[in-house]
Amino acid sequence: MVIQSQHPTDHARSTKYLDRTRMNNALEQALDFGATYAEIRLMAETTSSVRLKDGQLEHAIPGQEIGATLRILADGAWGVHSTTDISNIPNEIESTVKLARAVAARRPTGSKPIGLAEIPVLQDEMHWRSKKDVRNTDLQTKLDMLQTIHASADDDDRIISVACGWSDEHLHTELLTTEGMDRTWSFQRSMVNGMVTARDGGDPVSYRMRHGGEGGLELIEACDLGGLGEHARISALRLLKAERAPSGKLPLIADRDLTGVYIHEALGHPCEADLVAAGDSCLDGKLGQKIGNDIVTVVDDPTMRGGYGAYPIDDEGLDTREKTLIKNGILTDYLNHRETAHHFGIEPNAGARAQDGLHHPLVRMSNTMIMGGSFTDIDELAEDIQYGVYACGSRGGQVDTGRGSFQFAAQEAYLIENGEITTPLRDVSVSGLTLQILNDVDGLTKDARLASPGFCGKGQTVPVGDGGPIMRIREALVG
Amino acid sequence: MNMIPDDAIERLLEGCQTIAKQCELQGIQEWEIVASQGYGRSLDIEAGRISLASGGGEGGFGVRVLQGGRYGYAHLVDPSGAEHAVSEASSIAKASPKIEGFSLPNAMNTTPIDGMMDEAILNLSAEDLLMQGDDIISEVASIDKRAVVIGGGVGIGAEAGVMVSSEGVEASGITTSHGLGVQVSIEENGQMTSSWESSSSRKLMTGIPDCVPLAVEWATKTRDPITVENQPLDTPILMTPQGISSLFSNIIRPSILGERMVRKESFWSEKMNQQVLDSHLTLLDNRRMEGGFSSSSRDGEGVPTSCHTIVENGVLRKMIWSTRDAAKNVAEGRITEAESTGSASRGSHMSPPTTGCGDVQLLSSNKPQSREELIETMDEGYIVHSVMGAHTANPTSGDFSVTTSTILRVENGEIRGALKQAGVSGNLFRAISNGVHLGHQSNVNGVSNTGSNHLSDILFTQGMRINPA
Repeated sequence: MVIQSQHPTDHARSTKYLDRTRMNNALEQALDFGATYAEIRLMAETTSSVRLKDGQLEHAIPGQEIGATLRILADGAWGVHSTTDISNIPNEIESTVKLARAVAARRPTGSKPIGLAEIPVLQDEMHWRSKKDVRNTDLQTKLDMLQTIHASADDDDRIISVACGWSDEHLHTELLTTEGMDRTWSFQRSMVNGMVTARDGGDPVSYRMRHGGEGGLELIEACDLGGLGEHARISALRLLKAERAPSGKLPLIADRDLTGVYIHEALGHPCEADLVAAGDSCLDGKLGQKIGNDIVTVVDDPTMRGGYGAYPIDDEGLDTREKTLIKNGILTDYLNHRETAHHFGIEPNAGARAQDGLHHPLVRMSNTMIMGGSFTDIDELAEDIQYGVYACGSRGGQVDTGRGSFQFAAQEAYLIENGEITTPLRDVSVSGLTLQILNDVDGLTKDARLASPGFCGKGQTVPVGDGGPIMRIREALVG
Repeated sequence: MNMIPDDAIERLLEGCQTIAKQCELQGIQEWEIVASQGYGRSLDIEAGRISLASGGGEGGFGVRVLQGGRYGYAHLVDPSGAEHAVSEASSIAKASPKIEGFSLPNAMNTTPIDGMMDEAILNLSAEDLLMQGDDIISEVASIDKRAVVIGGGVGIGAEAGVMVSSEGVEASGITTSHGLGVQVSIEENGQMTSSWESSSSRKLMTGIPDCVPLAVEWATKTRDPITVENQPLDTPILMTPQGISSLFSNIIRPSILGERMVRKESFWSEKMNQQVLDSHLTLLDNRRMEGGFSSSSRDGEGVPTSCHTIVENGVLRKMIWSTRDAAKNVAEGRITEAESTGSASRGSHMSPPTTGCGDVQLLSSNKPQSREELIETMDEGYIVHSVMGAHTANPTSGDFSVTTSTILRVENGEIRGALKQAGVSGNLFRAISNGVHLGHQSNVNGVSNTGSNHLSDILFTQGMRINPA
């Protein structure tokens, strides 16, 4: 594990939003109407976002949101009702059972009814307390920290704009099920971000920065905010003079940010078992098969405290755990929730995540990383490359899981010539095919760790952490 | 059964009044409250069957307070939390910089826009929606028995919205929407191809929308890829509306925002009254389009909306503003004069209004060409129907480098076959500034709650590069 938990796990009782007696009666009623399983999951969010533009407060938005989702399994199909009107949930039981049955009635002949893998039924609370509860952070403290980023990012006449942002959230979840589950959990996330835009007579360029993770104010306090702003400024200024990237199939070295995005897009998404079950993954039927180079080992680990994709309990009430998706090049596991675990006859591994209380859980990644290899540093990775590209910082990525093709883009890059890192490049993107490029990973540095926090969209948006070591790919399509 | 309660607007108004009362009790000079309550039904399709059906509703309130040119914002779900929310917004206003000349807009007369609500959607039952899902799955199989809908779904929604302000704005309305998306795949002989297509409308889409057969068509067209020379090539590219829309959203739409223009963050900064598009092209930002996804008689601050000609015959003529952004940039001396263009957008009740595009249309004064004519004009090049990674494009410079798996090679004015995968790169601002031909289809793409793109086929004859995998 790269990031170890340093936080106490607190099992103290907390304020509850769901009326246990009333909601458990409603769930019992669902069984009376013919459901085989029903759950009510509530999420209450206390959020705050602050934005500073060119050193001035643009907006600060405190928010309180609450939502709940009733999910009912009847005749092997799902019916779902989501609402901000929590007290009205019991009135939606009958109609939601009917909805599930209407879906079930359409199941094609030979198609398996939905079932759920068994998980431990627990009644407890788990609260990942932050060292410094972010809800107690006043606006001035946030502004002071953002001003630190701004001051160092803005320190050049060619910088035409600096925008800095703060966001934090305290998430409180309650889950009640007809199986007798009654779990409550909470945790926090905090993040600062920014964008620097520079211009020197020609076209403007921009560079983005992010720092954050699971935790409270202590995460932001631990960051060298001045250094973050300085790095963004220097990178933006460098981009002003950067050249257009060469196009073609070239050796590629990716920094931690890009390694993380690569593994998230190229492998993580195709490993999501709901996509595999739907016939929308190039990894369908490949469990136990060699799909990558021996040096490639990939984990997805929501227990990695501090990672932006960390969470203590998944949204079906299962304690989180590390999943090894690839071990020495062999596909060893899919990311699962209870439905897909039952479908494939394998153990559920706590991959169920919902965007908020108003969405039902899907199979999602958490903190996804390639583990470290044997190379000491980037110089050792680059020394055999005659002509290639070193790409750094992520502008995001995307994948077509069925076709197995992916794309990700770098914030900045450099040419590698005769083993040396030379000319700065701009607007570099990399694309490839999952099953090909996992075999083309031929060098990893020893030190793997999570990189910048990110967000993942799959109809719903959830925070994720990605990372790994510095990675070398024998040949990738660079554009 | 009506999807939305008869008293939905009244309930929201009641909540707004509770918050307004708190504003008055706390001595707030100017305040503006928005409320929305959405109701919806949807179904998911996976692996050729309906996998889940859902319904529900969500909503909340947002309050913006303004004290001597300083503003604060807070949002809440339950109006019983009004005292705390108003107090928080007020304390944020005190910490915010003063914007000289910023005050909330007065109530102004406006006229309603047609096509924003369809009773047929309000009356559509869950069973009706499931039947549409059945029809889509059957239709795909009937077009090509190898084709399967492996993902997507259908949804309908109705939203009640209310805005009230201390300046006398009191507006309310109900809008409806119907959306459909399908991921169709064909897997045969170890080869898997797929295509995602979608359609949206404020009116009920009856029958099978065109996007369904289109998804089958592209999953079929991209089978059995050909091999081409594996070298990057500067070449003409015909982008279908689906192919260009995501790049257009990420690059062109932000470039017309007033604040980005005056801060020199837009490629079009300092280019007012200069040619920025090919000389036959006109770009409209239209918030009054019948049934438009951004359409409303008032914008997110209560200002009456308009249809703006941003670029006329290739020449940049206008930028768009919200009241607050206009006042702020005038106060900061970035521009001598600016006022609201009725272009304030809100993502939801959780965010304060900011300047945003509405429904954007790209039109040509030239005679539009059919796709066949465009292919003939292109002679040699590629057709690109969808791209991956448009969100990684650089909105400031217009540079992009994306990937496509729905790409066809054109030789001698005819389609030769599909490529398995290719990179597509270029600079959209430069590519669209000259040598552009438009087709005569005009599809709605990239629908969001802040508006959609209305684009046709676009043939770019310069500024584009293909990098076959």
